[in-house]
Amino acid sequence: MVWLRVVAAYAAVLALALTLNFALPRLAPGDPLGFLLPEDVLAEMSAEEEARVLAEFGLDKPVAAQFADYVSGVFAGDLGVSLRYGAPVWEVVAGRLPWTLLLMGWALALSALLGTALGVMAARRQGEMRDIGTTVLVLAIGSAPVFWVAMLLITLFSARLGWLPSFGAVPLMAVPGSWGYVAGVAERLILPVTALTIAQTAGVWLTARSAMAVALSRDYITVARAKGVPERAVFWRHALRNAALPIYTNVSIGLGGLLGGALVVETVFSWPGIGQLVVQGVEARDYNLLQGVFLVATLSVVAANLLADLTYPLIDPRVRR
Amino acid sequence: MTEIALPAPPVRRDGQALRGVQKAGLVLLATLLALVVVGPWLVPYPADATVCAGFARPSLAHPLGCNDVGQDLLAGILVGGRVSLAVGLITATVATAIATALAIASAWRGGLWDVIAMRAVDAVMALPFLPLVIVLSAFFGASVTVQIAVLCLVLWTQPVRELRAQAQALRAADYTDAARAMGGSSWHICTRHILPELAPLIVPQFVRIAHAAILTESALSFLGLGDPTAKSWGTILFHANARTAFLTDAWVWWVLPPGLLIATSVVALALIGHGVGDRRADGTVAATPRTGTARPRGTEAALETAGLTISYGDQTAVSGVSLTIARGETIGLIGESGSGKSTLAMAILRLMPPAAEIRDGSVWFGADDIAGLSPETLRSLRGRRIALIPQAAMAALNPVHPIGAQIAEAARVHGFTDAIDRARRLMAEVNLPEDRFSAYPHELSGGQRQRVAIAIALAAEPEVLIADEPTTGLDVLVQKAIMDLLAALSHARGLTVLLVTHDLPMISRRAARLAILQNGRLVEEGAPEDLATTARHPHTQALFASVLRLDAPKRWVRESAGQTVLEARDLSVTYNAGLAGRLRGAHPVDALKAVSLTVRAGEVVGLVGGSGSGKTTLARAALGLVRPTGGLVTVAGEPPSPGGPAAMVFQDPYQSLRPAMAVGEAVGEPLAIAGHSASAIREDVRAALAEMRLPHDEAFLARRVSSLSGGQRQRLAIARALVAAPRLLLADEPTSMLDQSLRMDLLATLEAARATRGLGILFVTHDLALARHFCDRIAVMEAGRIVDHGAADAICQTPAHPYTTSLLAAAEA
Repeated sequence: MVWLRVVAAYAAVLALALTLNFALPRLAPGDPLGFLLPEDVLAEMSAEEEARVLAEFGLDKPVAAQFADYVSGVFAGDLGVSLRYGAPVWEVVAGRLPWTLLLMGWALALSALLGTALGVMAARRQGEMRDIGTTVLVLAIGSAPVFWVAMLLITLFSARLGWLPSFGAVPLMAVPGSWGYVAGVAERLILPVTALTIAQTAGVWLTARSAMAVALSRDYITVARAKGVPERAVFWRHALRNAALPIYTNVSIGLGGLLGGALVVETVFSWPGIGQLVVQGVEARDYNLLQGVFLVATLSVVAANLLADLTYPLIDPRVRR
Repeated sequence: MTEIALPAPPVRRDGQALRGVQKAGLVLLATLLALVVVGPWLVPYPADATVCAGFARPSLAHPLGCNDVGQDLLAGILVGGRVSLAVGLITATVATAIATALAIASAWRGGLWDVIAMRAVDAVMALPFLPLVIVLSAFFGASVTVQIAVLCLVLWTQPVRELRAQAQALRAADYTDAARAMGGSSWHICTRHILPELAPLIVPQFVRIAHAAILTESALSFLGLGDPTAKSWGTILFHANARTAFLTDAWVWWVLPPGLLIATSVVALALIGHGVGDRRADGTVAATPRTGTARPRGTEAALETAGLTISYGDQTAVSGVSLTIARGETIGLIGESGSGKSTLAMAILRLMPPAAEIRDGSVWFGADDIAGLSPETLRSLRGRRIALIPQAAMAALNPVHPIGAQIAEAARVHGFTDAIDRARRLMAEVNLPEDRFSAYPHELSGGQRQRVAIAIALAAEPEVLIADEPTTGLDVLVQKAIMDLLAALSHARGLTVLLVTHDLPMISRRAARLAILQNGRLVEEGAPEDLATTARHPHTQALFASVLRLDAPKRWVRESAGQTVLEARDLSVTYNAGLAGRLRGAHPVDALKAVSLTVRAGEVVGLVGGSGSGKTTLARAALGLVRPTGGLVTVAGEPPSPGGPAAMVFQDPYQSLRPAMAVGEAVGEPLAIAGHSASAIREDVRAALAEMRLPHDEAFLARRVSSLSGGQRQRLAIARALVAAPRLLLADEPTSMLDQSLRMDLLATLEAARATRGLGILFVTHDLALARHFCDRIAVMEAGRIVDHGAADAICQTPAHPYTTSLLAAAEA
């Protein structure tokens, strides 16, 4: 029954995202047609033409009917047409999504591992001057805007040293699937993944450090020591096993932030993911595209969080039923 | 705004270092603010004027060079800082205010309202943050106002959960209940009690939002969603990126400075917030081994401390304690709070908190000085030869491992190959059902958990048991069962037991010898019977004099009683779960079932029963805090209402008086709520304090409650209850949280107030011996009913109900 409640909660999130998407063009200042067509086209339209377009998009129906149309459309994969690409938004976004997921996947794995390992080690030295120094350093790194870090990485490794490419995801001359293609993509992944990992690791580090410190201060640790459990086992079996719970939760909550970071980093590296669509959408005033990106982003994050929530009972016996 | 007194921070060097970190953050932020406020006037160019060639390199006139359209970059950065910082701080102010108001309202209202509000917060928080902000900004247009509005719209949700959780705790706090009982309105309680207590948590939330807002503003502007007419650090970087400045030398003066400034302001905020939110936890425990000296003499002692001195920094917790524990004996270590008894007990296993240090002396175990053992030798001794039964088994068991595995581990780490079988046998011995082997601690009751803790302690067949308050927090009847079990098992195994406790009557019956600790010194030791009659030290004498025995002559005998001040007739109270609770599957609870009871003026009626028996509900009904679902209750002939002629003294003075309040403010609160004038309040407060034999000068009235001792606080709580001249006093275990030696004194003041004012007192307690001596009549409650009722002596000598009999047995055992 627990999972039913979790699924219901996430369904509510999706409903909220859909409602928001539906309401925005209707609530925002300006003509709803202005969000659908380019300005120059609108300026030349006659009143009849406008009415015809409104009817074509179903904008003359009552709001409830419009909402029903919109929702059923979304479930049928219809997110409208992108002005910038002249193609269905769903196709445009779906084509880009794997590139973003590739970037996020690596950054997620690296930051979770690195942040946990370093944070847990830092918890052993709580309160020492060196620990305070490290904490300030990590906070400073976590405070740098991710796109700025990305720009500096390009300056150093591409412009100055010339070691790594800074543009796109795919080598121009390689055949997709060939060894050279894979190597080229890997080479182009390094800098964006590094930028994203740097930004993301700070948060995991702080969580891991405090979770471990809290676990180490618990009475059950004293009891484990009183039993004669060796320090190594106290650390791993008793403290880290408990600290893993908040770390897991926090990493899964951080997915939304990671996605945001990926969107911004992509624009710096011209990475062909959905982040690039955002910039193009903003430039071209392509509202359908922006809404599509928002919806797909919500869907991905919600799906990932749902998975995390449903697997959480595997590591925490207290919420098992 | 009321000044906030944070709980006294532990005096540690790292605490100061953390405050240093915080101070550094504040200085950094102030410098940045000064720079962007004053800076633009010091640069001779406006930020948006073309004053030099495009892409000009830095020069004396333009220290940071110029951008592509020939605008001075230094001027741009200084002006841009105003926008970036203003967006951050304004957003944080608005969003924190919304979050705080919603959190308090939601926690206060509770029920369905709360559920809906929290679901909404969760839903908004689950949306991916940046895409949401992007799509909102795109639709509402690019301007600084829209940016602030959009950021507020999204960021207000972040602190709500945490603030609400705290507000809920504050709502359930005794001092909130106390204010409600005085007739305080929701607004009064929310603004005077909850908000000030919440403030220390609001600060880090503000900082966190400002942090997120500044970073998000820069990201939005960088994506081209910034206000095209207002420069900010993010828009400067947007243009730098659009002109690929990072591929040329221009990165040094165009890309680096704005990013550094964003990072600096965000790190300044992070430092401020970090110092507030961080709580230091224990690090490693292993104390530095000291070089041992040779043991003075060989004895038959199982364990012996010699001149043991332990200190926390400059404070000495245990000083020069020499205590010998003979093989096979059970010794009780008695002391009041702060006497150092737990520190001493844990020092035997060298498991004190990290701040504690053995300064001098030895702990002899056989030929070894535990204070000087190597970590590995110490480890092989812990659990195997000296084992610990910890206080509060609730927290002592690891929540993620099954209990069977936790028992088995204690044997396995010492090389027992049959650890699993052993664990099963031990579970049977401590009377835990076999099928609980794979159960987790949260699936067990408090008593069962304590049994697991005993099994863990016995798993590796130790010779010595250290039991640190092993029954604290358990129900009276469960306490007896656990102590019986412990006694039987240690006797069968011939164990040496050191039992740490503050419960003198219990330990007097259980231990062959007592050691009495006061302020870290061992003041006296001896057999309980001897100490009871011929103690030499005044502290021991006071301790034994304060023990109320069931078989001694009644201490307080009162004459006639007056008019009825409390009458309950067939009173029933059912707690309905509310719609939200019912959705979760909660059932209504019958807390009181047709209870009839009277209290007359000048009379003390004892209400005795275990936890959950309905004692407190009866008191709350008399205060008018819960409405009867059946029958009736009257106080001085009227239906009760908060602020009426009944007043309450709560069990724990540390919780019933808000520590940050001033003494005069706390005692005068019932009168302030009733609308009395300040001068009248002052007079009445002084009189009430004098009656409670507390100081009543201006200086004392201005002192914070937090600066008073437990005994003083409970007197203060009684003064607060008496200040509005009630007819009926509801006293909920007013002595149970106090040290033994303070209890008699408090009862004496309570008795004096009763006698002079002709008060009727309903005295709630779980201690039958105390009730017998202090009360004229006793009503015994079990599961919402009064099962036994009569004169105090009659109840104790000829109990009519089996529950009363078992309570008597627990009090005598």
